[in-house]
Amino acid sequence: MNFTSVYEELFYKALRIRLVEERIIELYPTDKIQSPVHLSIGQEAVAVGACQSLKQTDTLFASYRNHAFYLAKGGDLRAMFAELYGKVTGCAGGKAGSMHLLAPEVGLMGSSAVVASTIPHAVGAALVAKRRKHEQVIVAAFGDGATEEGVYHESLNFAALHKLPVIFLCENNGLAVHSALSARQSYRIIEHARYYGLSVTCVPEGHDLMKIYEVFSGIVDHVRQHRTPYFIEIQTYRYKEHVGPGEDHHAGYRSCEEFEAWKAKDPLILNKKLTDRYRPIILKEIDEAVAFAEASPWPGREHLLSDVI
Amino acid sequence: MSTARTDTHADDQRRSVCPEEVVTYREALFRTMQDALKRNPDVIIFGQGVDDHKGIFGSTLGLAQEFGADRVFDTPLAEEGMTGVAIGAALNGLYPIQTHIRADFVLLAMNQIVNLAAKYKYMFGGRFEVPMLIRMVVGRSWGQGAQHSQSLQSLFAHVPGLTVLMPASAQSILECYPYVIANHRGPVLAIEHRLMYDLKFRVDEVREKSNESPLTSHRVRVGKDVTIVATSIMILEALRAAEHLARSAGIECEIIDLNCVSHIDAAMILESVKKTGKLLVADTSWKAYGVCAEVCRIVCEHSPASLKAPAVTLGMQPAPCPTAKSLEDMYYPNLRDLTDAIAKLVSGKGDHGIPLPDEHSMADVYKRFKGPF
Repeated sequence: MNFTSVYEELFYKALRIRLVEERIIELYPTDKIQSPVHLSIGQEAVAVGACQSLKQTDTLFASYRNHAFYLAKGGDLRAMFAELYGKVTGCAGGKAGSMHLLAPEVGLMGSSAVVASTIPHAVGAALVAKRRKHEQVIVAAFGDGATEEGVYHESLNFAALHKLPVIFLCENNGLAVHSALSARQSYRIIEHARYYGLSVTCVPEGHDLMKIYEVFSGIVDHVRQHRTPYFIEIQTYRYKEHVGPGEDHHAGYRSCEEFEAWKAKDPLILNKKLTDRYRPIILKEIDEAVAFAEASPWPGREHLLSDVI
Repeated sequence: MSTARTDTHADDQRRSVCPEEVVTYREALFRTMQDALKRNPDVIIFGQGVDDHKGIFGSTLGLAQEFGADRVFDTPLAEEGMTGVAIGAALNGLYPIQTHIRADFVLLAMNQIVNLAAKYKYMFGGRFEVPMLIRMVVGRSWGQGAQHSQSLQSLFAHVPGLTVLMPASAQSILECYPYVIANHRGPVLAIEHRLMYDLKFRVDEVREKSNESPLTSHRVRVGKDVTIVATSIMILEALRAAEHLARSAGIECEIIDLNCVSHIDAAMILESVKKTGKLLVADTSWKAYGVCAEVCRIVCEHSPASLKAPAVTLGMQPAPCPTAKSLEDMYYPNLRDLTDAIAKLVSGKGDHGIPLPDEHSMADVYKRFKGPF
């Protein structure tokens, strides 16, 4: 597709993610997607802005909230819907579901449902890149809750100690399930990361596609050139419940004002012109992907015990 | 010091007969580590202390100097993180070998082993593989206590996706480790026993070129009276008990070394029990939910009528390991306990009248081990 500007391309990619997830919300009551979904709605700009400056050969390790990263990194939409449907044509043949999407052909490595658990995998991948003198950059993407896990600290320490070409991307939405940062952290994420000797940057404007793209692009260039680890925190906002298709502002654990404030900055809501331009094209693509998933066969008994060892 | 013998292989045809060599468990480990680094530039070895002056009880000694600090390196005390690093490295074409000087420390890495490494292939539809070897050493004796003595094979072998080795001889190490490193495409956990490091083993020519996987069980003694299925150091105890009983009572024990406890040769066990009618299982760990229970399950499910007497199991006492020598001596089954149990099972009598050996256990007999670790 031809875009008139980088912004337009970023906008298109973010809108595509949102519309895909809105289709998941529409489909969810049909029970055709029998997999817990952790939606990225509200956080699309982080994945899109970050992945824009990555090459296909740069790899990214994600978490269970991975739909945005899967699509932003270039994962196939049909294989994604088929995977959500549990079909054999899915990106993992129906064995992964929403929480473990992968697209190694475009550098999206494993996604894990255990918080922080793929961060050291990114560090291990960076160790290989360093040994082989690749120009490859590796990204570990995780949420603010992951920074409370021991393995996060172990990973930062090892990456800093061995000067590995890895970018730690903390997508801070301020929530771990329903728990606020203030109930969980005695430290400030960015200062804490700096203490390990990492270069650090914080972007509070997690809605701002261009800002994220520009800052992240600078970091990618830096890591590609200097081969040292970098830490970036991007503050963002989760519109939906932790898991599932609904909204839960009525539950009382977070304020509606905060939600309204983020929505008031959301380019996918504000920019009706670009939305109108791209929405029909994207919806057509989604229709085709859903039809593909619907028509695909289920995995059979022959798949049950394949690929165990 | 006696020489532990594992040269009574029933399945000699599996191994070409040639002049025997005597190798310690430690030397076998060292050779396999050194060969792996020599043969494959993508092999790396890391773990706490791999490059220090002790070198994982000698098994990695000098390898950092020989192959460079980028291939053999010390790590932070970060068991989970480093197993995660190993997974990331394995995904990108390296072959990581991670070491733990005590198996107990591996519990800190269980998340990466069970939730990630074991599932990486299946959960991602066969599109990822994480070939890697995690070595861990089980301690026993000289006051190792509750957290330096655990033999955790059943925790690992319970989880689909993991392959669990328990080498009971230098031969097993020389056959299995190179095979695993060169051919096996998934995560392997090798549970080594500290008390065997100094023991000498006769080794036949290793079947390196064979396409047959050594990751299975082996019959290490042929007999008609009782089937003894055992792991690790209990194989050596069983061999000694068998020799004593053959000499003093004419009892002929058949002994099966499970060797790869995640991939037991069930047919071998069933065939043996059919012949002997008697089953004794001796494991290095607790009996409940473990190797003892699993071997009994296999026989109960497939051939319960083969048993002419109730199965007998031996393992650690159902408690954490005590430190005091007096308690530790009661905690582990010793040679006398094992011999007595076999004699009772075969004779069908509690008062069998067969003289028991004077020696107490591996710890007393084979061990030059005087601690501290």
